[in-house]
Amino acid sequence: MSHRDTQAATRVGTRIANKSIKFSFDGQEYLAQSGDTAASALLASGVREMGRSVKYRRLRGLLAAGPEEPNALFTVGNFPNIIPNVSAPQLVLRNGMALRSQNRWPSLKWDVASLLQAGGGFLGAGFYYKTFIWPSWKTYEKLIRNLAGLGAAPGVCSLSPPKIMYASCDVLIAGAGPAGLAAALAAARAGANVWLIEREPVVGGELEFEASEIDGLPGAQWIAATLAELARRDVKIFTDTTIMGGSSDLIIAHREAGGIAGNNAVYRMKPRAMVAAMGAVERPIAFVGNDRPGVMLINAAEKFLARYGVKIGHELVLFANHDRVYAAAARLQAGGMRIRAIIDTRLTASETIPLRGDLMRSGIHCLLNTAVLATIGGNRITGVKIAPLDAPHQVRTLACDSVLVSGGWSPATAQLTQSHFIAGAEHGCLELNAALHDGYTAGRTAAQVAGKTDLSGTAPRGHGDLTPSLMPFWRSPSDPIREKYQFVDLQNDVTVADLRAALAEGFNDIEHVKRYTTLGVGTEQGRTSGLLGAGIVAELKGDPLTKVITSRERPPYYPMTLSSLAGLRVNGALRPTRKTALHQWHESNGAVLESMGLWMRPRYYQANGADAFTAGIAEARRVRSIGGIIDSSTLGKIEVAGPDAAAFLDTIYLSKASTIKIGRSKYMVNLREDGMVLDDGIVLRLADDRFLATVSSGHAEHMLSHFEYYCVARHYPTISDIRAVSVTDVTESWSVIAVAGSTSRHALAQVLGNEWLAKIAQLTHMDFAVGLFQGHDIKVLRASFSGELAFELHCRPTHTLALWEGLVAAGLLPYGLEALDILRVEKGYLVSSEINGQTTPFDLGMDGLVKQKNTCVGRELLNRPAFHEASRPRLVGLKAVDGKSKFLAGAQLIGSLAPRPCGHVTSTVYSPTLKEWIGLGLVARDYALGDIVRAHDPLRSGNTRVLLVSPVHLDPSGARMKSMSRAP
Amino acid sequence: MTLATLQTRLTCPFCGPRHLSEFVFHKTVAPPNASPFAEVYERIDNPNLSIEHWQHVRGCRSWLRVHRNPSSGSVLEIHLLGAAI
Repeated sequence: MSHRDTQAATRVGTRIANKSIKFSFDGQEYLAQSGDTAASALLASGVREMGRSVKYRRLRGLLAAGPEEPNALFTVGNFPNIIPNVSAPQLVLRNGMALRSQNRWPSLKWDVASLLQAGGGFLGAGFYYKTFIWPSWKTYEKLIRNLAGLGAAPGVCSLSPPKIMYASCDVLIAGAGPAGLAAALAAARAGANVWLIEREPVVGGELEFEASEIDGLPGAQWIAATLAELARRDVKIFTDTTIMGGSSDLIIAHREAGGIAGNNAVYRMKPRAMVAAMGAVERPIAFVGNDRPGVMLINAAEKFLARYGVKIGHELVLFANHDRVYAAAARLQAGGMRIRAIIDTRLTASETIPLRGDLMRSGIHCLLNTAVLATIGGNRITGVKIAPLDAPHQVRTLACDSVLVSGGWSPATAQLTQSHFIAGAEHGCLELNAALHDGYTAGRTAAQVAGKTDLSGTAPRGHGDLTPSLMPFWRSPSDPIREKYQFVDLQNDVTVADLRAALAEGFNDIEHVKRYTTLGVGTEQGRTSGLLGAGIVAELKGDPLTKVITSRERPPYYPMTLSSLAGLRVNGALRPTRKTALHQWHESNGAVLESMGLWMRPRYYQANGADAFTAGIAEARRVRSIGGIIDSSTLGKIEVAGPDAAAFLDTIYLSKASTIKIGRSKYMVNLREDGMVLDDGIVLRLADDRFLATVSSGHAEHMLSHFEYYCVARHYPTISDIRAVSVTDVTESWSVIAVAGSTSRHALAQVLGNEWLAKIAQLTHMDFAVGLFQGHDIKVLRASFSGELAFELHCRPTHTLALWEGLVAAGLLPYGLEALDILRVEKGYLVSSEINGQTTPFDLGMDGLVKQKNTCVGRELLNRPAFHEASRPRLVGLKAVDGKSKFLAGAQLIGSLAPRPCGHVTSTVYSPTLKEWIGLGLVARDYALGDIVRAHDPLRSGNTRVLLVSPVHLDPSGARMKSMSRAP
Repeated sequence: MTLATLQTRLTCPFCGPRHLSEFVFHKTVAPPNASPFAEVYERIDNPNLSIEHWQHVRGCRSWLRVHRNPSSGSVLEIHLLGAAI
């Protein structure tokens, strides 16, 4: 069955070119006139159902005619080239466009999830939090996320980056309605350089349909005259452009023409003064069934009639709490729609409305002190129930096919923090002459702020619709059990019942109500629902609205295409890449590279296996049997020099650097001020007053700042006397090649030359020697990251390749990070998964380092009693009890002492030497080595029984590493 | 009301006014003469004056002591950290 209903709507005289274009909606073809939006064309074709709500999947139609539209969001295009969540009232159709409704499966008419809701009423606020907690939220997450909200993501990123423009002006005016135009006139007449921003494709705001006269001209003619004057005065006008946010000196505006991403632009503007004249957004009134397709805001109906000649229905009931409804009714009637009744909630209408008498004489029921209680009908409205407010049980039924509602206007206050001046409807001036005057004054004052002094000229004078004389009215009376059909936020299905539930649960503040119920969190961002929700909360609490206020608005204030936010920072331009001196060699020798921070490092070499797992094992096995080399140039290197260098390092390391002898090095650990381990590395003493500290690759930039900070941070007591020290980042001045394995001495001598033979032979563990390689500085440090006899070569980047190729020729083949990880877990060496900012030196088994007497950053706080409790974690080794099962990092460890986890697995590898899965973990101290716990990992490897062992799985005595075997 | 307060720039004593994206915030300072524990966990809570440590990381790398008024968002003073006050 088609959505088309030839009875529902037609078009009257039109302002747009009568040229047909074709488009499709949910697979069906429709015709539109050029200039139509998706909303106007579908309405003109009799389509009312345009989407389903996010939570209850209720069929929905259009509520609004702007970006505040909560229901009619479409996916445009064919997968994978789709753009989701495009607002139908803003989407200007182009020939052949394919549109799809959202939140429904398999079709808009028949949605499976909506049937789930049909049986037993709705799932109220908090339902998810309370229901899907056993055994855990994770169990349901995927299903719920699939059912939950809005359109699917595109399959490809095919949008071109936006144009980005930087500009400055004297006066920036947001909004080109009557107030904004008047402000632009005033500022431009004063000689200011003015920019006028308007989110609609045309200027004028409500002058588009309001019967108005300004300076003796009809509204439309005044706009034309004003635009001519603004053009003469070089005012730049940006239509289709929305201000998204910013700070007081930088405003970000976004241009998206035709309501869809394509030729977008981002403007970064620096105005000297800003006027916000963005008007006000009409809000609905909550009544039972107010979400049926056919319930629309009065402004929206007027806009569809005035701009597109579309009649939104045939028999209307208007429901409002102000005088403007009568003027609107007269215009809609003149447009050919039949008005059945005007339901006014106030006790009296203004005596000054002769219009009301005319409307009554033309046969329209004009009822005061009355409210629409509910809509009736199936998917389509067939009528409304109304009742006097002082006798809500005297219910009458009126037949109609549409209900137009207006509960007043909510000022578009989102930009207030950036703006200096507010004008027009946003400032509460809802009458035309007041808005013009307010705008003109604001524009003139803004020009004054921008340094302009010529303030001649007078504000335009005009008259249009009367002041609304609004009486607050938020929701119609209802039986409490029907409050779950009184919708406040249509997009997120937040009802009066939800707001009541939130208050009953103790969520008193409007921000908490928002988060509990999801009020105003969707793309409409509370534009129609925010103040309405706050009004109802105030009523339910019995507080004045001024005490409740609305929740805070946050940028971006309208939905913004992600490609515009990303700008040029996509693909290769997302972030810089750092390459080591051997990058080219790795690439041409089959290395699979992996990003590590900004660096690229070989993960494994394809010659050693088809995938990371097999290649890693092969490379690690070869290091243990023969040896190997790895490019460790990414290691952070910081040179510390000066008479106070030793004293300075003593202050920032847990153990003393001042006791290191020249030519020796030491494994050292940094603490944070709160006592947690920050980083570890080897510190070399190059001279009495010169050290080289190595820091973790991933931490290098942060560690440099850390070093620099304690050079000048006088709050730290022992640092206050230290001045003669300098800290220099030498990371990129030195490449590092780590050479490991029993043949490494032999290979080194072969490559470096015979003069190094004796030097290398004499190096004991943690010694280093300096000398020359091909005439350039080189350091050879005997230190091991693999547990093998190993050396670290620090050489100049220009000569790294020669050294590397020499070592390869000498029989030492390269290995990657995958193998390095196997080697270090076998030996229980730490990386960032153990040094995670939550572990103390005691937790990591560094008690020996703490014993050394040294006053350093973080030491005082190590004495806190909680650091020594039995529940603190301790680093342990792990292996499967059965000697063969696999378990993975991230698994929770569950022991016999308590049902909740006692720790977690930090690293695991398959050890080719031990021929089993081994790991490291952090486990509460009340578990001892030899205990058996379960590695619980339901989503991956399941449930493995693991044994707690020493973290050093291989060669605990260190015999391999300390090997004194002489070079041949 | 003017836009003279440059809230998206900080004036580095070496480099002059530079965009905020060049700087990294480190912390709000503790009360003077704080114990090591207070140094980590206590902060001065003054709505009109916040004393903070920042680094001009993507510039000259100076560490700075920045006095800000959190209520207005304006920057009051910037000094080199460790220099005599």
